[in-house]
Amino acid sequence: MVVEAALTSAAIAHDAPARPLRRGLIDGAALPYLLILPALLLECVFVLYPILRGSLVSLENFDGSLGLDNYRFMWSDPDFWRMLGHTLIYTLTVDVLVLVVALAVALLMNWSFPGRGVVRSILTVPWAIPDVPVAIAFVFMLDPSFGVFNRLVRLLPFVDQNQNWLLDPTLAMAAVIIVTVWKGFPFYSLVLLAALQNVPDELYDAARVDGAGPIGQFLHVTIPGIRDTIALLAVLAFIFATQQFTLIWLITGGGPVDATTTLAPAIYMQAFRFYNFGYAGAIAVVGFFISALATIAFIFIQRRLARET
Amino acid sequence: MRVADSSASQSAGGVHWARLLRVCAIIVVCLVVFFPVYWMLLSSIQPTQYSLSFPPPLYPKGLNLAAYAQLFREKPIGHWLAVSTFVAAITVIATLIFVIPAAYALSGLHWHGRSAFGLLLLFTQIMPAAIVVAPVLALYRSFGWTNNLTALAVLHTAFVVPLCAWVLKSAFDAVPKEVVEAALIDGCNRLSVLPRVYLPLAKPGLVAVSVIAFFASWNEFLFASTLIIDSDLYTASLGIATLMTQLDTPLFQLMAAGVVFSVLPVLFYMAIQRHVLRGLTAGSVKG
Repeated sequence: MVVEAALTSAAIAHDAPARPLRRGLIDGAALPYLLILPALLLECVFVLYPILRGSLVSLENFDGSLGLDNYRFMWSDPDFWRMLGHTLIYTLTVDVLVLVVALAVALLMNWSFPGRGVVRSILTVPWAIPDVPVAIAFVFMLDPSFGVFNRLVRLLPFVDQNQNWLLDPTLAMAAVIIVTVWKGFPFYSLVLLAALQNVPDELYDAARVDGAGPIGQFLHVTIPGIRDTIALLAVLAFIFATQQFTLIWLITGGGPVDATTTLAPAIYMQAFRFYNFGYAGAIAVVGFFISALATIAFIFIQRRLARET
Repeated sequence: MRVADSSASQSAGGVHWARLLRVCAIIVVCLVVFFPVYWMLLSSIQPTQYSLSFPPPLYPKGLNLAAYAQLFREKPIGHWLAVSTFVAAITVIATLIFVIPAAYALSGLHWHGRSAFGLLLLFTQIMPAAIVVAPVLALYRSFGWTNNLTALAVLHTAFVVPLCAWVLKSAFDAVPKEVVEAALIDGCNRLSVLPRVYLPLAKPGLVAVSVIAFFASWNEFLFASTLIIDSDLYTASLGIATLMTQLDTPLFQLMAAGVVFSVLPVLFYMAIQRHVLRGLTAGSVKG
């Protein structure tokens, strides 16, 4: 979910030093370690240990010895490369669309108008609805014979028959992207709106005095003012999209054939349909590196921007 | 582009049109956002033959208000919702217990390994969760914890704690250092400033964390579907997903189930969204 706070804090993890006081156990050097101990144990047993175990089986060869068979097989497996392609298409499209739509809506809402609170409440609705009902609603709306999507699409001049959304590879991918964006953008909008409201009005006044029109103000005041937030949300959206399982699984099951099989469904299928736990682990490790790279790129860019300004 | 209230210099007519356009655009956005919800509601209250005709009517052609009564009579949805509420409640309480001390250590104290602990929490978030399903299943089998709702809640807690720790840390970061220093001088120690100063001042953060934990658990499907086999212990997301795959479930019932399952979190969230946004943006948005 919302790791924006997490990522910002990770990027600036060295601030706010607290003066250490030495007075007994509860005030002493042991205190922080005692405080994190419960959470650390919980994470080690229920998250880290399973992650390590799940990843390390990927180093088990097909004959049980230690080696890179899984990775070698993955390298030569065309299905893996197709899956990676689907993952990138899905992730990047969702990422860009979600941010563009979210920013547009945030800009629309960035003024005081009557009913603003109501609009804000409506915008939070998709975020609050669990994935399962969202999938149910959209599967029904996408139905080829009586779905309302076809009623809307048929209004377009070049569409003269009902589309079979979930059986056409391109349309199925489009459908899961639409659903993900629909569910995701309102929340990003509200975060961006909060960021927009923190851009000082004086900056706009100064830009106006300098002769900047609306577009100039947008490019030179608005965008620099919220770019940290945008960068952060971009990474978040990226990680969430690579992790997306429930929506894809319930809407298309990864199909037709494998057209919407992205990372998370692929791992699940390898593990629970084909019982290739080692191969599932190898795919997860690749997924981890993709997300880790995105995160590192984010921290790097944010530090650079912070140094520039 | 920017706020209409600061554009007094523009001609009154232009402002008027820009405003009208803006209002129209906002209405369109609201319609798009709300449409699937409306469709779910519509399909749950109109007799199925209308929903299953093409083109489907955009407003209810008839009313079948018995759908909900029928749903509760024929399917154990009340039971599923009770199970989900139980699991979510345990998750929220457990999350607060684990996350408050950890977030305080991350925010208010200075110690070796703080960044490492922070990165470890981040690491748990970027590893694809699908990979832990099989190892977790093996672990839970060896503990005899499959078909155990408390154990499921513990797992939900473990997966939501890293995120909550970061969110609460940002909320704690926003507590003014002077207040903390003053409390320390007044006789608080490093531990007692947590309940006396941090918790009262970081209430929006606590609300945000509770909501995140509640939603994560209420929404969760992947772990529930592998760890809970006994249909008497189905959570609502699991139960409703099985309705979806059972071909004999009438459409209006499926939609009604979706609506019922969504109502609680939506109302819950609307009631407290202001706090949540404040809590969530405390650390990430400067100002």
